[in-house]
Amino acid sequence: MAPDPAAPLPRRGLERLDLMLLCAEALDLNGAEAMLWLCQDLGLGDRLGSRVDLWKRRCHNPLRRHVRRGSLGVDDTDALIRILCSQADRLYPLLRALLSSTEPPAMAQQRWGLFEERLGELLRDRMNLRRVAVQRLLDAEDGAAQRRQLVRAMALAAGSGGFDRLKASLMDAAA
Amino acid sequence: MKQTLRFDQISCRLQVEGVPDVSTGQGGNAIGIITGWTLQWAGRPELEGRKEHLLALIQTVLPYARRLISDAAEAIGSGSDPVEIRPAGVGSHRLLLRSSQPDTPPLDVQLDDAELADLVRVLDQLRTDPRLQLSLELPPALPLRARELSDRIPRRQRLAAPAAAVLALAVSSTAALLWPTPSPPTAPQGRADNPGKLNTPR
Repeated sequence: MAPDPAAPLPRRGLERLDLMLLCAEALDLNGAEAMLWLCQDLGLGDRLGSRVDLWKRRCHNPLRRHVRRGSLGVDDTDALIRILCSQADRLYPLLRALLSSTEPPAMAQQRWGLFEERLGELLRDRMNLRRVAVQRLLDAEDGAAQRRQLVRAMALAAGSGGFDRLKASLMDAAA
Repeated sequence: MKQTLRFDQISCRLQVEGVPDVSTGQGGNAIGIITGWTLQWAGRPELEGRKEHLLALIQTVLPYARRLISDAAEAIGSGSDPVEIRPAGVGSHRLLLRSSQPDTPPLDVQLDDAELADLVRVLDQLRTDPRLQLSLELPPALPLRARELSDRIPRRQRLAAPAAAVLALAVSSTAALLWPTPSPPTAPQGRADNPGKLNTPR
């Protein structure tokens, strides 16, 4: 039987959602501020009006250094997914440039290097480095495919049309 | 009155032409009947077709994108379908478009991740445009089952847990068989003639 789409996000889904939000911050130096503006634009100010509200929800990611116990409600996860889709829409030119095979190799390498450096800083700052999943994501070689997968998922989820697709993906059963 | 919807991305442009379906009371700027469409790709031949071909493109590409987000891409469409898409190596996808004209070979288009994302975006923009007042009959995006995701994990990693469980069971069973059983208690001297009889209380 397929998992219930109205159920709360599973642990793996929460991890991926927070990691993609972290990727958005790595792509945009003002990413954290941009998320707050987007909350207001999307009418989510009541739920996620401040930086602390946003941080509390994101701390349900089990890979975080400071993890909050309990499950996150569907309304909260839907709000975070909407923010991510809007962020991906805003950052789409950067996401596309990372994924394009027609970019000159030197420039593509430079783009990926910059993105990976910022993502690494954010991961080391906020995640539990004893977790194998975090160590793998930080690894230059082992984590490359996963970092590309996160960027590709953001590109395919960009905009309002990507909400259902991304939510269904985050609800996937654990393999 | 004829209406035209145009959606642009870096590598492609989708243009849909149609008219409002006045029989259902649609307004002047709506499209209820698609009369034609074109998809222009940078450096590739232009595609055009009827409504059925556009629907087939949407119904093939968007479910493929859904699976790709979960890193579980697989071929969608078969040899008899007008549109087929399948993975073609890391960051590459092969889109086959079959013409309804006889003796016309299928158009084979190789897309990288960025071009596929552009195509998904123009199709998303079309289907979410309020001016398009037409049912597209898209399958709902659903979570994938564990069985559908198993291929993305290497076989060695996938089989590690069951193999460890079988090994642990074998080791514990062997250890239990080798464990010496306690010897039965010896009967007290002088009572061997009547072992089942209890002593009479004093």
